[in-house]
Amino acid sequence: MPTVRSPSRRSVLQLGAASAALGLPFIGRARAAEPLGFATWSAAVDQVKAHLASFEKKTGVATAYTNAPYAQYRETMITKFTGGAPVDMLWVSDAWLPEFAQAGWIAPIDRFKQLTAYNAETSDFCNQSMMFEGKQYGLTYYTDYMGFLYNAEILEKAGFTKPPTTWAEVTEQAAAIKAKGLLEYPVVIGMAQESWMIEFISALVFSHGGRMVDDAGKPVMQDAKAEAALQWLVDAVQKDKILSPGCVQTGELEVLKTASAGRAAFVLLPKYRLRVLNDPQQSQVAGKFKQALMPMGANGTHATVGWMRFYGVTPRALATPDRADNIAKLMEWFGGKAEGEYRFQKTLLKDLALGFGIKSLYGDADVRRDLNAYGDADLMAQQQDLARKKDTIAPWFGEWNDTNGTAWQQAVLGKATPAQALKASAAKWTELKKAG
Amino acid sequence: MAPHSGEARLRGVTYDERAAAGLLAALAVVLMAVTAFPILYSLWISFYGLNLRRPNRVPFVGLDNYAHVLANPQFWDSVGRTAYFSAITVVAVLVLATLIAVLLDQDFPGRRILSACLLIPWAIPSVANGLMWKWIYDSNYGALNGLLMQVGFISSATIWLGDSAKTLPLIANAFIWKEVPLAAILLLVTLKAIPADLYSAARVDGATAFKRFCHVTLPAMRPGFLLVALYEAMMAVRHFDLFFLLTEGGPGGASDVVAWRIYVETFRNLSFGTGAAMSYILAIATLLMSYGLIRSLAQKL
Amino acid sequence: MSRDVIMVRPLLWPRLLRGAVLAVASVVLLAYVLAPVFWLVSSSVQTEREIVSIPPHWIPDEPTLQNFKAIFLTGLGYAQPTPTGVDPTSGGFIPSVAGNLLPAMGNSFIVSIAVVVLNLLVGVPAAYAIAKIRFRGRNMALYVILATRVIPDIALVVPFFLVVRKLGMLDSLGSLIITYLAVTVPFSVFVLASFFEQMPDDLDRAARVDGCSRLQVLLRVFLPLARPALVAVGLFAFLASWNEFLLALMFTQTAASQTLPIIVAGITSDFTVSFSFLNAAGVLAVVPPVLLAVIFERYIVSGLTAGAVKG
Repeated sequence: MPTVRSPSRRSVLQLGAASAALGLPFIGRARAAEPLGFATWSAAVDQVKAHLASFEKKTGVATAYTNAPYAQYRETMITKFTGGAPVDMLWVSDAWLPEFAQAGWIAPIDRFKQLTAYNAETSDFCNQSMMFEGKQYGLTYYTDYMGFLYNAEILEKAGFTKPPTTWAEVTEQAAAIKAKGLLEYPVVIGMAQESWMIEFISALVFSHGGRMVDDAGKPVMQDAKAEAALQWLVDAVQKDKILSPGCVQTGELEVLKTASAGRAAFVLLPKYRLRVLNDPQQSQVAGKFKQALMPMGANGTHATVGWMRFYGVTPRALATPDRADNIAKLMEWFGGKAEGEYRFQKTLLKDLALGFGIKSLYGDADVRRDLNAYGDADLMAQQQDLARKKDTIAPWFGEWNDTNGTAWQQAVLGKATPAQALKASAAKWTELKKAG
Repeated sequence: MAPHSGEARLRGVTYDERAAAGLLAALAVVLMAVTAFPILYSLWISFYGLNLRRPNRVPFVGLDNYAHVLANPQFWDSVGRTAYFSAITVVAVLVLATLIAVLLDQDFPGRRILSACLLIPWAIPSVANGLMWKWIYDSNYGALNGLLMQVGFISSATIWLGDSAKTLPLIANAFIWKEVPLAAILLLVTLKAIPADLYSAARVDGATAFKRFCHVTLPAMRPGFLLVALYEAMMAVRHFDLFFLLTEGGPGGASDVVAWRIYVETFRNLSFGTGAAMSYILAIATLLMSYGLIRSLAQKL
Repeated sequence: MSRDVIMVRPLLWPRLLRGAVLAVASVVLLAYVLAPVFWLVSSSVQTEREIVSIPPHWIPDEPTLQNFKAIFLTGLGYAQPTPTGVDPTSGGFIPSVAGNLLPAMGNSFIVSIAVVVLNLLVGVPAAYAIAKIRFRGRNMALYVILATRVIPDIALVVPFFLVVRKLGMLDSLGSLIITYLAVTVPFSVFVLASFFEQMPDDLDRAARVDGCSRLQVLLRVFLPLARPALVAVGLFAFLASWNEFLLALMFTQTAASQTLPIIVAGITSDFTVSFSFLNAAGVLAVVPPVLLAVIFERYIVSGLTAGAVKG
């Protein structure tokens, strides 16, 4: 094995151990001439290809780009890692960071000062989301947060001039909209088992002043504040009937489609969806959707949940100094500045409305023009400052998330009380934490 | 033993065995090169506490993974769901396929077109099948709600896959739709193989058409029923695609069947050891089930 | 059976009744089988605004072939994906994956046809040996072959990946061909062996007396008679290969080797694709296997007649 600098040695050894356990010869070194393998899920494919091409032209470093459907991306990467496929850089979701890091599939990048320097300009929750056991594992690819969006026209018809600022007001206004016969279910929130579920849940809990897990890693998802969040949701379905029980099969995409068909007054959606909702080409309610700060629970704040996807690197990429050098350049080209500007971030925003972690971009004239075309850039920035990272991210996230999702669904369907559901979820967390 | 016949037998056997070996060689190479390792590997893994999140600790645990799985009530819940899903699937497929086979056994204009159309569901790729049914069951824009509302069966949009009481039957329906055609063809084949004199004998006895069906047709179709029941049960017990594409085990765990559990254990929890153990438990159960089915159906019918 | 019924009961009423029952049953069956597919096709030719109508439009008011046009034009290089800056969820948007659908279809064809050919080359001799040659461990051989299919595929994905990587076949069509061959051939052997077993041993004996080798017997005597079974087995292998998803997902990494189901699944999980485009991609994946199944329908019945079901 070639000389490995200390930060990545442990990861390399871990990967080696994993491979040994699997009975495999581990290929820790990549030949210098081998192109840098870059794996992503199938999103922004053209933008990535174009940006890669300009990187190759500028640096003369060869790359090999592969992608897989997002829904199966994690499984595909796991298979590739255990099978020793040639991957150097990849997109990673914040939710997978601990397990990927523990398994030794991705390596810290702290040693690249030119990369960590970007932290100063990046939203806090975003930086925190890339940290695991005190080490930083990458740079942001895209960042967004759960936004509270409303159909101003429907509110107006129901006689409201201002959007709700608390969840109690949401119930009140929704009930009025329902009573007027404007919509059967004015509130649309997705509670289907899918990757978005934890973000919907976290946004509700955070805005009620709750946490899922405290800083010590102890579950507090069953305490009064978090319970108030679930209770609000359950009441919305069971008591006030302002949210359809079908929400347990409503995914994020369907929330979007329902809103754009004019069948929702209040929705939780990733902020970037505002552009679709206000685009006359594809929305029947273009120009009517607005963003408001996340409503507060009785003891809550306007906090919401933020998430991010980042560029991670594999130990393989750091195996030789030359390769490590090149991978750092590639990561900066995408996650930092390219030729002195945040070119890729701005492209993603312009083409796909994807959010960014770099706070200073909210002051950029191009960016403001793009955002103000379908929303309010200042409000977006204000809400982004109130976003906090998902506190449930842990190596056992995947396993716990299943149980937690089931628990919330059962409460929503009236098959368990909120207290019972949250207790079950917290118990699973404690059990998994103990098992390590 | 007479020396002559013994010699002939010996000579015959060796040539035949050599011929058989030659004819089987290609197959053996393929299976050895491609399938043998994965099967043995997953068996081997099932004896280790391999969780990819803990790559440094991979102890040999013997049968602990199996014991752990079998002691987990969640696993038994999913076994119950798999049994329920398989039972409704097999029964529905048998009933529908029998009716269709009887229909296609008649001579009438358009029969050929009908039997050609019948194969369409069978040929549809499972990814497209999942996509199609998800879209049909969609609680906002789906065809099912649209249709039922137009004919006045329901007054407002109903939640389909999102209703935990309906989820399994609905997934089963999508599965049955795809499985019925092949089953119908297998049964049709059996039906056509029934000797005509069986019917004439019954007719001489003065049996009505219905009685003839019950006393001649059904018993004579026994091998077909057995084959279809066996095949469908094996398919249903192991079925994964629709659970993955339609519900991901939800809502509230309502479609969390064994095949889905294996997936969650392996790829979500990264617990390859218990995942492999679960797979072997399912495999052994499948074998026992097939054996049981053969035994009981072969006797009863 | 049916003709007998008519002869025995030449009365008018029962005949009319029978006709009515048959007609109703046929219509019900046809509706059951075709309605879901009809809805898929109808959805694929609707605009994005129309597709979210309530109640749904069974027959589109303004049918459009824009999705298919996009798929074929970009696939053949005559059109470019919609330029950046236009929001992709809208109807009429051509996602860049549109251009991948036709090449993926090509990959699916290559893989499926190769698997069919190899299945017959490998499966026919093996099935003949198992059906017609009395050798020690004959039953055992069949059980072992079938037993390779009992372990759920999910458990085999990772080790399969290791095998494919060891063979240096990652991201190649070859990786799919050999693994699909391995997973389909046991079933082929089973069906073919059952078919051969139904053929009289006398055929075998007579030819052997004439001095034919086992291979010659197989090629000259059995194969010509086994055509329906060969077609049926080929069709099964083709469909299985065309439809396979899990292994293709893991082994293929770029458009160079991705098959149709992978691209279609990619579209379903893309956050930005329109519903109607999704359905159009689904239609594309459905058409070739359905056509084949309909064309070769009569072989399936006769191919299985002597085989799978023993009276």
